[in-house]
Amino acid sequence: MEYILIQFVNGLCQGSIYALMAIGYASIVGVTGLVTFAYGEVMMIGAFAAYYTFQYFADQLLVGILASFAAAACMGFLVYKICYERFFDKPRHISLICTIGFSMLVKNLAQILFGANTKAMPSVIQNFFLDIGPVRINAVQLIIVATVIGLSGALYLLFNKTQAGIRLRAVNQSRQAAALVGINVKRTILFGNCLGCGIGGTAGMLLAIYYQSLSPTIGSTFGNKAFASAVAGGMTSIPWAAGGGVLIGVIENIGTAFLPNSYRDVFAFVFLFIVLLLRPEGLSKKEGIRP
Amino acid sequence: MNVLLESKDVCKYFGGLKAVQKVNMRVRQGDVFGIIGPNGAGKTTFFNLCSGIYSPTSGQILFEGEDISHLRPEDIAKRGIARTFQNIQLFKFMTVLDNVKIGFHLSTRTNMLDAMLHTRRYRQDEEMIQTQGRRILEKVGLAEYASLPAGNLPYGIQRKVEIARALALEPKMILLDEPAAGMNPMETDSLRQFILQLNQEGYTIVVIEHDMKFVMNSCSRILVLNFGEKIFEGTPEQVRSDPGVNEAYFGKSGYWKEAQEDAEG
Amino acid sequence: MKTLRKYRWVLICLLLAVALILPQVISSYLAGILCRILLFGTLAGSLNVINGYSGQMNIGHAGFVCIGAYTGAILATRTGVPFVLQLVCGGILASLVAWVLSKPMQRLKGIYLAIITMGFCEITRIISLNWVGLTGGPLGIKNIPAPVFFGVKFNTPERYAYIFLAILVIFTFLTGRVLNSRVGRAWISIREDDLAARSLGVKLGHYRSINLMYGAFFAGVCGAAMGPYYRYIASDMFSMDMSFNILSMVILGGQGTLIGPIVGAAIINTVTEAFRFAQEYRMVLYAVIIIAMMWIRPQGLIGVSNSMLSGRGIVKKRGRGQKNERPA
Repeated sequence: MEYILIQFVNGLCQGSIYALMAIGYASIVGVTGLVTFAYGEVMMIGAFAAYYTFQYFADQLLVGILASFAAAACMGFLVYKICYERFFDKPRHISLICTIGFSMLVKNLAQILFGANTKAMPSVIQNFFLDIGPVRINAVQLIIVATVIGLSGALYLLFNKTQAGIRLRAVNQSRQAAALVGINVKRTILFGNCLGCGIGGTAGMLLAIYYQSLSPTIGSTFGNKAFASAVAGGMTSIPWAAGGGVLIGVIENIGTAFLPNSYRDVFAFVFLFIVLLLRPEGLSKKEGIRP
Repeated sequence: MNVLLESKDVCKYFGGLKAVQKVNMRVRQGDVFGIIGPNGAGKTTFFNLCSGIYSPTSGQILFEGEDISHLRPEDIAKRGIARTFQNIQLFKFMTVLDNVKIGFHLSTRTNMLDAMLHTRRYRQDEEMIQTQGRRILEKVGLAEYASLPAGNLPYGIQRKVEIARALALEPKMILLDEPAAGMNPMETDSLRQFILQLNQEGYTIVVIEHDMKFVMNSCSRILVLNFGEKIFEGTPEQVRSDPGVNEAYFGKSGYWKEAQEDAEG
Repeated sequence: MKTLRKYRWVLICLLLAVALILPQVISSYLAGILCRILLFGTLAGSLNVINGYSGQMNIGHAGFVCIGAYTGAILATRTGVPFVLQLVCGGILASLVAWVLSKPMQRLKGIYLAIITMGFCEITRIISLNWVGLTGGPLGIKNIPAPVFFGVKFNTPERYAYIFLAILVIFTFLTGRVLNSRVGRAWISIREDDLAARSLGVKLGHYRSINLMYGAFFAGVCGAAMGPYYRYIASDMFSMDMSFNILSMVILGGQGTLIGPIVGAAIINTVTEAFRFAQEYRMVLYAVIIIAMMWIRPQGLIGVSNSMLSGRGIVKKRGRGQKNERPA
């Protein structure tokens, strides 16, 4: 029982990272209306950007966040140019296949550039422990959760209190209507896509810190988790996507209490299957655009 | 005459929007049944309910006395209701003949094994589809277009292809959603003749149409919808003289008279 | 086109004759490439039946290959049933799994299908990696016996090419027939416009399910045929990378054409052999090919422009337009 409780807390922590991934994912899908398979690779690039920053420049978490965000946002720009811009009015599968191609490209180039082996992520967080009853929480977990909450709060403000955020939500609701009231739709989509990718990059970095390792092939695992979480939220609903992320984190960690650790990645998919089987439109009730 | 299609208190809500509310209707065998109403009156939604694309929030739809409210479109097609779409939904990249061939899906039985082995059933089916498909195209007057891709044809012709495809189902009832939209008066008139001819051959027809002349001159009964509710059902003469329809549908202006005169003349 | 159709049979016979003689006159190394082309030709073709003809977005085809391969290998090493039966069993099991998988897929469209198939592929791989008792775990299954026909052991690429050729020919022949029938037309109608297809009485779920099972069957057969050729199988052969390889062949050659995927398989396998010196750039090359095709010719090299797949200025129907569909 105690073990389960510990796993539950671990799950919450890991789930909060998944939630951040899913937030990024949901904002991308919400604003572009197209689904991306390149997200995992974008996250991987974010994690690597932070890794090299930690290695060569500064050992600060904040610098890492900035670096990973910036690098992933640049990737977002590339994704937009290569996979979205030309294909908004084409059948969806074209841009989808393009993102698959892009993710293969990035993954394999990264293997060549960064080396295919797994690297140890430097520990940038001063470690200490906090004992609450039988559960021991370490600093990494605390700071990760705090970072996720801080970023989500910043995003909330961005979406609700700034002009750019309101434009994003307008495009999310209806592209035509947004264009009619004079919003530069393409630029807003580009901005939203880069923002979402940036968030994803930061989440990728956090996950690498949490696992204390990273490799160029980690992207697909990342991407799958983000995917599953976002689907739980019906692809476009940001709060539900975040909820889905936390849920998947918890399910995974409790699941590994009963099955070998190597089955970890199966849980997210099984959860996804169940959600899609019961409620194909996601757990949320919100009527939004669906890809 | 027996009732073929009947709706009982059918409602369809989209969230707070009441697209169709408590509509009762009876289409009898052999009718040409018109559904009219201003834009947004819920006509197409009602069609979608009848053909299974939506299922009603409450109420019942009966076809030949059996409840079809919650059947899927494919099952409703199997029972003998064929339809066309307001925004033409042809297989655009296929030829006209291939479009019609798919219409024969229900009247053929070839399964995968037959296709692999070219059994007798396969050969019979293919032969039947080929000859019957040609026959239908000739009947609709599209024989010359048979091998052209459907998406490239003029609007009016595409609507006819859709009707031809629906006929291939050998349905008991055909639902036509604005068949005359985008046609010029001459085409509209020949379409009207054609629909009446189909009716004489035994097809029951339900038609949504904006063209008053078309509706008044071809329908035996008319249902008038407004804001999702039925405001009248009756013969064209009754509809014409009903003050309620007059007011709700056309407003209080003299527009109604003009439309009437237009319809008569 | 017309003349091509007229001489189709001559052409096919010629190709077959070349394919029959070729393994005897080329080196073992080239025969190996030929084997790959024939194997992946069938795999790409079977994926194309799913992606190209019914428009279901399957990006986890390797999962079906994996199931077929393990079924075949386990039967071969433990029971010694005849080779043809191994293939059929591999196909049937893959097909059964496809049937199960098609249940959650029935109500879903487009992207969700892609996610489900991807998840399926990953789950299959993880299970085959971890179920040590059945699959040998990370070591895989070794020493899979080569098939013997008429006292000849098919243990070299030169000989095995005939097996792959036979599978490809049977597959193409049967698929050609199915596509020109009521079943094939139903698949295509679903791809082009599922709403119209349903209103004509095409049972969407049923035909999608059959379609997936058909594609999976041949993927399973190919999987089962792979084991005795490579002499061993391991779970890392059937990762998403394999799925993407097959997908890129289909896309390069042209979705929704019978011959396209085979051409795609031939080109990609030849090119990757030519780039063998740059092993690690191979996947980069796949990626560039996929993106370039989407930019230049989304319908593929052979692909005809008469389909939804060509992407000629079709404004998408669902998604953003959804709200307009409601009351009218």
